[in-house]
Amino acid sequence: MAPEINGPPGVICAGLAKTWPGGVDAVRPTDIQFAAGQTTALVGASGCGKSTLLRMIAGLETPSAGTIEIGGEPPAQTLRKAGLSVAFQDPSLLPWRSVRGNIELALSLARRPVDRAAIDQLIALVGLEGFADTRPAQLSGGMRQRAAIARALATEPRLLLLDEPFGAVDELTRQQLAQDLPRLWEARGTTTILVTHSVTEAVMLSDRVIVLSPRPAEVVADIAIDLPRPRAPEDARKPGFAAHVDAVFAALSQAGALRDRPLAAQ
Amino acid sequence: MSAVAGYAAPATGGSGRGTAIGLLLVVLGWELAARALVGAFVLAAPSQVLAWLIENRGLMGRALAETLGNAAAGFVLGNLAALALAGIALAFPASQRIVTGVALVVFCLPLVATGPILRVIFGPGDGPQIVLAALAVYYTTLIPLLVGMRAAPATWFDLIASYGRGRVSALIHVRLMASLPYLFAGLQIAAPAAFLGAMVGEFTGAERGMGVLTIRAMRALDVEMTWALATVATAVAVAAYLAVGAIARRVLQDAPPIILAPPRAEGAEAGIGRLLLSLAGVAVAILVLWWGAIAVFDLNPFFAKGPQDVARALIWAPNAAMARASLGAALGETAVFLLPGYLAGLAAGAGLAILFVLAPAVAGTAMPLAIALRSVPIVTTAPLIVLLLGRGALGTIVLVAVMVFFPTLVACIHGLKQAPGQVIDVFDSYAAGRLQRLIRVRIPAMLPAFFAAARMGVPASVLAVTVVEWLATGAGLGSMMAISASVSDYNLLWSAVALTAALSALGYAGVGLIEVRILRIYAPEQLT
Ligand SMILES: Nc1ncnc2c1ncn2[C@@H]1O[C@H](COP(=O)(O)OP(=O)(O)O)[C@@H](O)[C@H]1O
Ligand SMILES: [Mg+2]
Repeated sequence: MAPEINGPPGVICAGLAKTWPGGVDAVRPTDIQFAAGQTTALVGASGCGKSTLLRMIAGLETPSAGTIEIGGEPPAQTLRKAGLSVAFQDPSLLPWRSVRGNIELALSLARRPVDRAAIDQLIALVGLEGFADTRPAQLSGGMRQRAAIARALATEPRLLLLDEPFGAVDELTRQQLAQDLPRLWEARGTTTILVTHSVTEAVMLSDRVIVLSPRPAEVVADIAIDLPRPRAPEDARKPGFAAHVDAVFAALSQAGALRDRPLAAQ
Repeated sequence: MSAVAGYAAPATGGSGRGTAIGLLLVVLGWELAARALVGAFVLAAPSQVLAWLIENRGLMGRALAETLGNAAAGFVLGNLAALALAGIALAFPASQRIVTGVALVVFCLPLVATGPILRVIFGPGDGPQIVLAALAVYYTTLIPLLVGMRAAPATWFDLIASYGRGRVSALIHVRLMASLPYLFAGLQIAAPAAFLGAMVGEFTGAERGMGVLTIRAMRALDVEMTWALATVATAVAVAAYLAVGAIARRVLQDAPPIILAPPRAEGAEAGIGRLLLSLAGVAVAILVLWWGAIAVFDLNPFFAKGPQDVARALIWAPNAAMARASLGAALGETAVFLLPGYLAGLAAGAGLAILFVLAPAVAGTAMPLAIALRSVPIVTTAPLIVLLLGRGALGTIVLVAVMVFFPTLVACIHGLKQAPGQVIDVFDSYAAGRLQRLIRVRIPAMLPAFFAAARMGVPASVLAVTVVEWLATGAGLGSMMAISASVSDYNLLWSAVALTAALSALGYAGVGLIEVRILRIYAPEQLT
């Protein structure tokens, strides 16, 4: 496959596996394809290996076996071009930089021009108008998460990797963020991989949900979410939505993922 | 790696009035005591000190300018050296144990002996003062820097890597910024220490400076002058400490963390085998550096003795038995002063800290004062203690104890505050009393800070005891080094230096071993 220059890239994992030094098997040899321009959710019990999988795709961890291609290139190549962004569960903002400063840092690390007006616009878009020059310590948890998403989007990545991006905030804030922010990357047609342990969130945000087994991670179900977009929070009560949520839960419980950590409450 | 560090904000903020009141009380008590003891010729009242200073302002001003200049030069050099060493440890992580080990041994070199040796190498001039000032500061900057360089969460480095950037970007955007508070904490301790180093350097044959005046005042038994010099040295030390703190608060918008001590060696748990291995590594590195320095600087073999000379002098020279015996005797004399003082300082520091926790109102006033006094170069007040308590055992022991006391007090108060609030809540819910809470929760939480102070107290107390022996009591290793330097018995001098540095560094490591054993029982979570 020739590397695509313009559109969002597809991601192909072939025989991908990770064994930590010390012998913990985190990911069993796995084939997964993430379609270009789609949002794919990875769900599974805590500790099953979701982050490990995502970090291998992000080029932050070397696989023990198998290959990853992002638009036909290995992750290292994509990294070199700063073609992807990661949003971590912890917002990981540098405390000595303001919101704007953190976004500017991402842009300069990615060797992109720093356009003040564009940054202001992005800050407003994530709902942080008036907080551009505030440091993270003065922001609430939800606001920090918004800033982290703004930073991840600032470099206009073709591949967006989200590791429980709404995981570190309370439930109400989480719902609010899950409603406000995904629009931003959906509008850009980015290829998005979203790790979450909330089934409702996965169904709400994705075109497709991949269910992983408890550690070592293995694909146990691949469920297409063919619900119309845009989706509103009320849609969660509609039968079509509920059917998808049930399907994901069924796959999770079949995999034994529900044995030690019930997810229904999420 | 773990380090004992915390933020000083509550201690320095908002209690300016308490500090002022405390200071006023001290000055008042001093004046009254001086009037009461007026016939004893040991204590000059603040009013007399002031009068002396005004009368001799020209002399004092010139000496202060000289010493400040040397201290500043040493401060810059020492901190640059610390930066360079931290850079090496960062670039080659495997070298960190060796770098910190060698740095510790060099830091443990007794200033009273390196002074005369440097004097021979440099001849007259400012060289020795500046080098001693640098030696006094680089370790207290290096250790916080090493902690700070690693004090960033892993995701910050992931962030840098996720934009395809490597170690250089991580250094610039994460490590340097994250280590700034720690750097300032180190510099804050270093600023007064540089002044101390420069003064000790001037004790050994300089022509000008505060150290020279101190010696002169002591020889002349000039009580007012001695007190005036000690007062100025103290004021300069506290001012330097506060000035760096103020700069830090402007730059960081936060008080710098109180760095109480170096991190425990990585893998302190790793077992005796690895410990011996790194010990051997440090020893080899020291020997190579020692040889190398003599060869590279082409030092005169008459006074520059290498490790082989020291070994010969102590093992197979015809009079080796005599050298060993006199070293042993001196060591015994020193130990008699050192150990009681060291233990008393630790006990008093920890005990007072516990009292403060039981009476928090007192702590509010006393803590800022204790933090400021921690920075006082106690050794420069040695002549005072000699004046007050005489040249006998008591004066020396008190000086060593005071030297250990302040850092221990500050560290322990800080450690006691670290007790996790939730655990205390659990105890409250069982209506456990203050004492129960103290024994079960707070004291275990205090132990890491206490041991950190106990480790740093080893080189500090060796410095104190050797300075007093050399200035005043005429006994022990300090005096032996002074005498062997003045009669040009360089084999004995270098042997004494090597012995003192080795024992001091081993004492430091020994406290670290006890620390691991005790923490394993009382605070196992602190070892992770
Ligand atoms: N750096 C690491 N070294 C060793 N083991 C790790 C490391 N990171 C994660 N693991 C282990 O790999 C497994 C999967 O972890 P992770 O991918 O973080 O799970 P998830 O994100 O699904 O909660 C866990 O058992 C975890 O303990
Ligand atoms: Mg995870």
